[in-house]
Amino acid sequence: MSTEFNLISELHDKTLVIKTEGYINNAGGEKIVREFEKHSDVNKLILNLENSKVVNSIGISHLIEVIEKLNQTNGKLVFTNLDPTIEKTFSIMGLFQFADKADTVESALK
Amino acid sequence: MEQNHLVEKLSLQSESFQEGFELLTKSNSFEELTKNFRHILRGNFITTNIHLFHKPTKDSAWNRIKSDGNASDSDSVILDKNHSLTVRYFEGEKYNASVVLPLSDNSYLGILFGGKLDKSSFNDFDKITLQILLQVFSSAHKSFIDQKNEKKLIFELNEKILQLNNLIDTGIELSRYENQNILFELALGRIVMLTNASSALITISDINSGPTEKQITFPQNISPENILSSLYKIESSFEFNYKNYRFVLSEKETRKGATSFNDLDEMLLQAVSRQVNASLENEYLLSQSLQKERIEKELALAASIQQKIIPIVLPKISGYELAGINIPSREVGGDYYDCFDLGKGKFALIMADVAGKGISAALLVSTLNAALNSYLEFNLPLSELTDKLNKLIYKASPPDKYITFLIAVLNSESGETEIVNAGHNPALLLRKDGTIEQIDAGGIGLGMLDLGIPYSAQSLSINSGDKLFLYTDGIPEAMNSAEEEYSETRMIDFFKDNSEQPVNEFIRLIVNDVKSFTKEAEQSDDITSMILKRD
Repeated sequence: MSTEFNLISELHDKTLVIKTEGYINNAGGEKIVREFEKHSDVNKLILNLENSKVVNSIGISHLIEVIEKLNQTNGKLVFTNLDPTIEKTFSIMGLFQFADKADTVESALK
Repeated sequence: MEQNHLVEKLSLQSESFQEGFELLTKSNSFEELTKNFRHILRGNFITTNIHLFHKPTKDSAWNRIKSDGNASDSDSVILDKNHSLTVRYFEGEKYNASVVLPLSDNSYLGILFGGKLDKSSFNDFDKITLQILLQVFSSAHKSFIDQKNEKKLIFELNEKILQLNNLIDTGIELSRYENQNILFELALGRIVMLTNASSALITISDINSGPTEKQITFPQNISPENILSSLYKIESSFEFNYKNYRFVLSEKETRKGATSFNDLDEMLLQAVSRQVNASLENEYLLSQSLQKERIEKELALAASIQQKIIPIVLPKISGYELAGINIPSREVGGDYYDCFDLGKGKFALIMADVAGKGISAALLVSTLNAALNSYLEFNLPLSELTDKLNKLIYKASPPDKYITFLIAVLNSESGETEIVNAGHNPALLLRKDGTIEQIDAGGIGLGMLDLGIPYSAQSLSINSGDKLFLYTDGIPEAMNSAEEEYSETRMIDFFKDNSEQPVNEFIRLIVNDVKSFTKEAEQSDDITSMILKRD
């Protein structure tokens, strides 16, 4: 079953920027993890969720997995362009204890 | 002496056991835990040939944990001969020792030790060290599992808080939307978040005709058929305003794949469905309230226009007394009366009733008033005037609207009066001697037909002491709560009995008599009357 989830990524030195589009569920979360694992030497992942307005807890568990992997190597995940509902969701799920947020990709790259 | 040496060596090693435990407890995954343990074993037993296996349950097969060396999967049969928590030592075989260690999550760790680099066999110190390291691993694994369970518990607790929070936010947000498509899309997005559904659908259909009017899915590119044919699905529906709203959720997601929904998911779906229902009801009630408010404003405006049409003061006619009244049953009525001073002692008394009430009736009254103001200036014969009015009203009104109309043109000096009655209640002329004449000569109501049928006029003379009474059907047809009519008979009797009263008093008394008859019953029609009395 199609989940209408897509992503594009860009590498800036050791920073990987992933821009998602669509529902971050199990399939969407897996795609993010796979894209992240393609770049073993990155120490910063910027996740631009401008075009993702819905996320479920299975998708969140994949994001936590990425956060833990980055933290093991003193890396960092930064969420950007968050919809208020998703920002509140991540806050309740405790993601901002181990990940940062920024308004835009540009400010996260600084 | 040898035992003292052993104790001394173990004492020196105790710090390294502690460090090993700390290293193991820092592991973030089972793979990392076993990888670190292999490093510790290699360091302690000076061998690179150590192979680890794992099996999730007692009866499942061993899975080799990725390692260097020359072990094969089939070597795990060696482990099958081990009892739990036993170490077997071998001489002159491929492996020097095998271990099966039961773990706190009911899984098992298997270890095969190959030959040491110095070719020596396991001595007592090695055997004690191995036992201690197995305990260290067992404790570290338990700590790892506890941490994992703790994380899972925290995640689940946060998930429940999130669900509660989302449910509250969803109720608030759904109540804000006026656009139904946005409302449904928001509801679908929220319900998949709440239940981990992989997709969702809303189907809207007419209760009576059945066919689907609209289908909205989340995500948008999924076909409704895919959702409806899903193995795992739940649904909830409600009916509102002759439409059925059906919500379907498909495939609850887990990390291991799709599964069936649980009772909580069904409750959450019903809760969101109810919130959408409430939102639609609120939207409907709000639109009704706004529409009512708009209509009331229009009625108030129409009433203010009509108030300007109904005369406040009737003209004084020398040698006569004249009085009239109009009491609309609703804010804007369909009755009309007036008296126009035509000059040279002539006066036109008008009594009319539009079929229907409200704004449309008021508009027709307004049209009639404007036309009378215009036509009366030309001093046309009454039958011609009425015919012109008929044509005008016929063109200006819908087929179900018409006006019953009566006009009486009085020459006040002579008392000569010409009357045309276009479908209206008969005018009553009470002679001084007490006889009553009913005047109904004329034709059909204004605007009913335009067939060129001429209106006929009736001429009569109003003499001293005569009284002409004009009225609308709101008086004889006034109804009490037992649905009995005031009646024409009672009205005529009242007219006869009270005709000597001053005209203003007569009008007041007849209205009171009608109201005393209808009592608490709501006024069903406009009450309008006019009386002319020659001194």
